[in-house]
This record gives sequence, structure tokens and C-alpha cells, in this order.
Amino acid sequence: MSRIIVITSGKGGVGKTTVTANLGSALAQLGCKVALVDADFGLRNLDLLLGLEQRIVFTALDVLSGECRLDQALVKDKRQPNLVLLPAAQNRTKEAISSDQMRFLVNQLAKQYDYVLIDSPAGIESGFRNAIAPAQEAIIVTNPEMTAVRDADRVVGLLESESVRSIRLIVNRLRPEMIQLNQMISVEDILDLLVIPLLGIVPDDQKIIISTNRGEPLILEEKLSIPAIAFQNIAKRLEGQNIPYMDLMAANQTLWTRIRQRLFGS
Amino acid sequence: MDLDPPIVIDVEATPVTERYLQIHLKSEGDKLLLTLPKTQDAEITPPDWVQISLELKQSLNSLEKKWVEQTPVHLLAEDRLLDARHLQNLSELLKEADLELTCIHTSRRQTAVAAATGGYSVQQIPLEQSLSVTESTPMTLLSEPLYLKNTVRSGVEVRYPGTVVVLGDVNPGAEIIADGDILVWGSLRGVAHAGAKGNGEARIMALRMEPMQIRIAGLVARAPAHPPGQLLPEVAYISSEGIRISSAYQFAKAYRFDEQGRWTEKET
Repeated sequence: MSRIIVITSGKGGVGKTTVTANLGSALAQLGCKVALVDADFGLRNLDLLLGLEQRIVFTALDVLSGECRLDQALVKDKRQPNLVLLPAAQNRTKEAISSDQMRFLVNQLAKQYDYVLIDSPAGIESGFRNAIAPAQEAIIVTNPEMTAVRDADRVVGLLESESVRSIRLIVNRLRPEMIQLNQMISVEDILDLLVIPLLGIVPDDQKIIISTNRGEPLILEEKLSIPAIAFQNIAKRLEGQNIPYMDLMAANQTLWTRIRQRLFGS
Repeated sequence: MDLDPPIVIDVEATPVTERYLQIHLKSEGDKLLLTLPKTQDAEITPPDWVQISLELKQSLNSLEKKWVEQTPVHLLAEDRLLDARHLQNLSELLKEADLELTCIHTSRRQTAVAAATGGYSVQQIPLEQSLSVTESTPMTLLSEPLYLKNTVRSGVEVRYPGTVVVLGDVNPGAEIIADGDILVWGSLRGVAHAGAKGNGEARIMALRMEPMQIRIAGLVARAPAHPPGQLLPEVAYISSEGIRISSAYQFAKAYRFDEQGRWTEKET
């Protein structure tokens, strides 16, 4: 039975596409067959993050107009044989596709893949509605910022009314040192407001920017960074494994912060 | 806790009652009555319809399921112009909640024809009659309390001509507007307006009172910039100095509603 999961947030720039690319790669590494669907028509980015931009020949719209078959439009990742991408059209807008067409494409993919991950555009307009239409499950990505959490709350409400029953949360771009200084909303506060199960926490890291610009998901690096391990853990939790949460606070306890705490109190 | 000085709004100036009519399910005997929100024109534009179907979905989800399966629903369409697609859409949404759209009450011929073609029974009411019925309904009569069994999230606005009870939180960005009292069995973090038609006796109660804004009848108050650390069940009410908040435990015993239309402490 394949799982259709939409990755969404409401607010833009919180890391939906980064999460989709890395989570897809991590699931593929675990041996699952994964199809990633870029639902951000007109502003597609997922191909860039995966480094597949130059391989796109056909897009989802070409499949719908009958110009090619679905399997011809799927871009295969040569580093990850288990992973394919269905690219969005860049030269059109969100109105170029309907919810029913999105449902059709995703249901076709679901026949052949274990996971179909849909990368939703920001906002709550038609692009978002199309992205959530085929989904059975949703992953909400948020940042420890009031704006992102508020928007996430709105989106959870909309998903609930669209009868998406399983809604889980990824807190992205967490900066443990700022939480320690009480400058950032803690994960507990976010959960208190949103009241949905936590799937994982991903710390902020410069490596994410580097990997985005290179078009190489963090997961594929030889020596895994902390965010990459966080994504792997999330993939394992999706697969039903019971993986404890990383102690990000401990990882932040460098010699310098310990000295500072000793000197100035916590 | 003391709130910032209240700001007085003129309830009469804003057509409150008109604004607060939204999609509404009400049980009557062994059937449910569905009323649609007021729109500017009798004809419903597509964006209006998206909003209406979303509101219906939300209210079906959050309402306590008190009905038995396949309960018939009567749609009170008044002079609204509805076509077969609208009716089909409503029927599907209701079916998901185990309800069955059976009958359409309308004063408009086109709607009646669409309903009859769709296989629904039709009750056609002459326009004048339906108008006089709505006017003669006494507006002071409150509906039975509305129970919402889950968290009211950002972007949701609940308008109700009676008391509202929320078994969950009211999140920032959500708004509850009730003609009666508002009781929140959880955290109140959004906007709450009790006694929206001008009833100064209305109160707002919450287990954790951390609202964005509180309104009672014609008064508005903001929460203090620095909320107190410890939060106990509290009640907001109109006192002689505007909106005040007190501990909920003793309120019913220690306060009474006086002739001037305010809550004052009883003399002991």
C-alpha cells in the first residue's frame, strides 16, 4: 500500500522543498521506491535541490495534455535509483492544473511507488488546494518563529476540514543556542499551540545552503551532518521505527558555551 | 489581572447581527435545518461558494455529532439562487457526515426547479411570507448553546446567536463571536466577543486566559503586554471601570449584575 504525503507550511521559505528533497532521498536510501511531485507550478525548485534541472524534458502538464506518457516525464536520479521526480511546468502558473488532474497524476504514481511526496507551494490558494487534494497524510514544516507557527495553525485547520487525518509536524531551522538564551520559541511552545504529533526537529545549519546551491541533498554526503541525521531519523519514523529525538541542546554544548555558562550563569 | 483601559465601540454603528449570520445547522425534531450565510445578492459567486462549502465542512467537523445516521436535512434557501451543482455539492458534503439532504425550502422558482430535477422534495414559500417570518422572530431569544469539540484554529471565525462552549483551545487568529457567553475549556488565545448584540451581562471564561482581544457588548479590551506568569481559570466581565478579569472560582458567588448593567462585588 503506497502512502501519499503532502509537505506543506502556509508560510514560504520555511524549508518545504528542502524537507521534501532530503526526506525523499532518505526514504530511497532505506530501500523504498519514492516519487517526488513538485506542485509549485511556475516557481519550481525541487529539481534544483536534487540537481536534476538539466535532465527535465517533459513536465506534469505535458503528461496531462497527452504529449508524453507519465513514465517519460519522470526524471530519474542516477545517484539514487529508487527516486524519481515529476517536475512542474515553469512557464505556467498555478491555475494551469486542477485538483482532479493532480489527483489523477498522483494516483497513477501511487500504483508503482511506495511513497509519493508532494511538495506544496506556499500560501493557501489554488496551488495549495491542488497539492493537498490527493494526499492521505500531511507533514507540516514550520520554523520556530511566530509568523511560521501562526500560518501552520491555519493550514492545520484547512487540512482537518479537507479530511486529511494524519497530520504531523517537522520543526525546521531550530537554533539551540537561541532557545537556551530564551530568544526563540521552543518546540514545546509550538506543540502546545498546534497540538499535532511531532515527526522531527531539524537544526539550522549553513551546510543546508551549500547543499541547495550544489544541487546535492545533504543525505548523499559521505560524512553525515547533524541535519542529515535528523532527516534520516524522520524517514525511519515515517517507516514506523521508534527513533528517539536527538539531543540538539547537548550537541550545542561546546567548550566555549560551557565556559560562558560557568562565568555568566545559564 | 488588569487589562489596558477599554475602548468603547458603538455596537449600533456596526450591523452586528447581519455580520454574524453564518452557515448554521440546527436540529428541529427528527431533522436538521441548514441555513446559508447572507450574501450581498441572491446569486452566489464562485468564490462565495468556496467559502460556504469550506464553512460547512468546518462546522460539520467541529460539531458534536448528536444526530443518528442518515438524518434528513432541510435546506432553508430563502430567495437564494441555487443550481444543480450547488445542491449536489451540499449533498456530498452532508453525506460525508452521515446526513442526507432531502428537502429544499425556497421562495425562488429557479431554485425550486433545480431541486426538483435533482430529486429533492421542494417546499416553495411565497417571498412575502418568508420575509415576514424572519422579521417576526424575536431577536432577543438565544439559541441553545453551541458545543465545539475541538481546537478553533487560526482563520476560523465562529459566529453564533447564543452561548458558545469550546472543548479545546481558541488559537491566535481565530475569532468567536457569540450573542451569549463564551466558555473555553482550554486556552483562549484568539479574539472573543461575548454579548455581541449588546448584552453587557455576557461573560467570557477560560481555563487559561491569554486572549489577543476581548470584547463584551460594546467594549473592547486588549490583553496586557506582559501577561502574568501563572494562569488560572478566569472570567472576563463588564465592571464599573470597563472590562475586568477575575479568578473564576468565586465569581458566581461574589459578584452580581446590578441595575446599571455592570457586575459589582456583593456586599458582605
